Amino acid sequence: MRKILYILLFLPLFLTSCIEIIDDLSLNADGSGTFKYTINLSSSKVKVNTLLKLDSLNGKKMMKLPEIKTKINQFKTALASQPGISNVKIETNDIEFIIKLSCDFKNIEKLQESIKNSLASIDSEIKNSSDFSFNWVSWNGSKFERSIPDFSQNQLKDLKAEDLNLLNNGSYTLISRFYKPINKCDNQGASISKSRTAVMLKANTYSLTKNTKILENTIYLDQK
Amino acid sequence: MKIIFFFIYIFVFGIYSYSQKSEELIPSEAVTVFSLNNIKLLQKISLDQLVQYEFMEELQQELFDGSTKEKTIRDSGLDFDQKLNVFFGKNRNYLLSGITFGVSNESNLFAVFDDFKPVESYYKDIKWYDSYINSLLIKNNIAILLRVEPNSQKVDFMTDSIWYAQGNSSPWEYWDEDYKEAPIYGEDSALVSNPEEEMNNDTYNSEINMKNYYELRDSIQFSLQQFYEKQVLDEIFIQNKRLIMTDNRFANQLSHETEGSFYFDYSRKIEKSGDSFYFKGIMPAIYNNIDELYSENIILGDLVLIDNHLEFRMETKYNEKLGAIYTKLGDTKMDKNVKKYIHKNCPAFFVYKINLKEAYEKAFEIVMPILEKETKNVDLITNALVLDLLNEFIDKDALFDTYKGSFFGCFNGVKKISTTKIEFIYDEETFDYYEKETEAEEDMPIFTVGISTKRHEVPEKILNYLSKIASSRKYKQLRYINNQKGKEYYIMEKAIFNSAPLYMINKNGLFIMTNDEDLAKNYSNGYEDLAISTKELKKTEKGGILYGKIDLNSTVNLFPRDILSAKENELIDALRGKSGKIEITTTKTNEQCTDLNLVYDFKSENDGPGKHILDLINAIYVISR
Repeated sequence: MRKILYILLFLPLFLTSCIEIIDDLSLNADGSGTFKYTINLSSSKVKVNTLLKLDSLNGKKMMKLPEIKTKINQFKTALASQPGISNVKIETNDIEFIIKLSCDFKNIEKLQESIKNSLASIDSEIKNSSDFSFNWVSWNGSKFERSIPDFSQNQLKDLKAEDLNLLNNGSYTLISRFYKPINKCDNQGASISKSRTAVMLKANTYSLTKNTKILENTIYLDQK
Repeated sequence: MKIIFFFIYIFVFGIYSYSQKSEELIPSEAVTVFSLNNIKLLQKISLDQLVQYEFMEELQQELFDGSTKEKTIRDSGLDFDQKLNVFFGKNRNYLLSGITFGVSNESNLFAVFDDFKPVESYYKDIKWYDSYINSLLIKNNIAILLRVEPNSQKVDFMTDSIWYAQGNSSPWEYWDEDYKEAPIYGEDSALVSNPEEEMNNDTYNSEINMKNYYELRDSIQFSLQQFYEKQVLDEIFIQNKRLIMTDNRFANQLSHETEGSFYFDYSRKIEKSGDSFYFKGIMPAIYNNIDELYSENIILGDLVLIDNHLEFRMETKYNEKLGAIYTKLGDTKMDKNVKKYIHKNCPAFFVYKINLKEAYEKAFEIVMPILEKETKNVDLITNALVLDLLNEFIDKDALFDTYKGSFFGCFNGVKKISTTKIEFIYDEETFDYYEKETEAEEDMPIFTVGISTKRHEVPEKILNYLSKIASSRKYKQLRYINNQKGKEYYIMEKAIFNSAPLYMINKNGLFIMTNDEDLAKNYSNGYEDLAISTKELKKTEKGGILYGKIDLNSTVNLFPRDILSAKENELIDALRGKSGKIEITTTKTNEQCTDLNLVYDFKSENDGPGKHILDLINAIYVISR
């Protein structure tokens, strides 16, 4: 998941300050569910278009739009072939620069495993990375724990203070949905929906760079 | 602007190399040479600093790969009493590039050029060093760093010929995703026990059958490289056939007492249509084939530094035929209406005035007889036929009255422009979300370009039709706006990067495209009192085909940071705070020559002129690429 975040989130994050990410996970009673991940760069269209025209950025080769689409399609094909994963959809809006990924999963473990395998299929080096063993979500039937990966501090070091400040315009929204009411959650910044079946936690990308744990949350469901 | 940048770029390369009589080692096949006569200007610049420049990074990374740490150019072993010359050349067989320079301290030199290892020299009293792709030869106290690359098309042709003659099938049929995982030639490659040793054997011998396509190609490339490099070096060290001896114009240029000099023999340049900006738009295919037209076509230049004033003086010389075409091309006056659309505070603009119709007529008159003589070259004959027919059928008056050839461009700074974005709106009950288009703002550089036209009804027709076609589209709709105050324009929504509108103004004998909302909505008839003064444009009126002016400080300071990489910003930062101006002027074209001057006035309290020159050149490189 770290790598997909790197590919789908981290790169755009540094390509543009105005990124909006929605990380939306719905869980059913049997442990299955639906995962949706949306990246919205529409408020930085000019900048993204400009950057896509660059050959390199900070000494690294910049991928062109067709290359990015090819990677996304490879990822989609790999994810769709994973056991326990179905209904994989990826929508891309080339004009507004919005990418939406969604899939159904049999259980949380399958989801995480499938994403890792799919990432490894498009970049074999991931397997050697310590990130490969990272799990960002766990579920024991009554307690649900979520987090997001650390952002690379090394990459951040290259950003100037004024660039970091621009990240204030970006946001990362974490939504967790359940089949029955939520009793409570640990993170004070989280909001529980009026229906009490969903939790939303939102942070701006600048805050995330300073404290990657602000989106960590443990959610407890009603035991009734 | 492109050609100006080219000269500057060449100059930068020149800064690297240098020599005393080092110019005597420049190969006769060099087509472009830049000689820096006064490299003392650069001696305080650290090599690390130098290799940080983007233009250096691409060209010199092989030479300065960490061996430059904490060293200045002074420490590099170069002889500062000699010229430093950079040369390039390309003929049908190979590409040639390199530098020649004087050597004051060989051990210092090899501390920087640390990839070079001594090899046996074929030439008496010449020390020879090789790196992976370059050769360095030292004769007494002068040196040549040389790279010869065989023409890749020739290499491909020879490889294919041998490959198919051996009865092999196409190597490309295996070129699919599985190729790497299941190499077809695995066994064959295994038979070549040591590919490097194989290559050093110099030829493709009986073992050639064991090589796969790529090994065969490598061998041929290596052999040709050795062959052509020897040819070049034999000419220099045995036959005494060097540029300074084969071209008096070059020798004469080197005698100028300036900071640097420039030589570009366009008549020997291959693929002329590639950058022949005069003819690119007229008859590129044909001009590419007419060497006769370009004979004696040469560009010579001097670099002069006086206090904080840097000047490139370039003279383009040509033969009578080309001169006649150029003269007609430049035979026009500046369109007075252009002035109305350049704001008095515009930090950068250029005006390009040519008479395309006259130039076409003259070119046709000169070129057709040359083409008619052709009896064998099928491409050329076909081109001639097409040209002749087009000349018969096309209404040239209508064409050249619509596009007269003259145009102008302005950079009007950076402004916030209105765009739209997609926002996700959340339902508080369920946290479900949906997309909604909302207003947004982004920074964008503001540009205006315009062409002169006598037939404003032609673009009008095109725009009217396009607006009908576009009316059904969600994006890029084209509309005519008349705000009842005499201000009228066309607007194409989301034309730029699918977000910003493009405005078109079709009046006063000009067709203008701009993303400047203010210009379109409030000044579609021109800036009037806010327009640039007649005095400012005097040089444009009196001069030749091109005039340009850049207020470096304003332009650099206004350029948006966030569309540049951190490194590029660093380079732009290097120019910030310095109030420099660049002015490009050309003289009236006559049948023998055209002069082009680029003047850079800079003010810098801390940095020496060398640093300033490098910063400027690098900034132009970054912005222009």
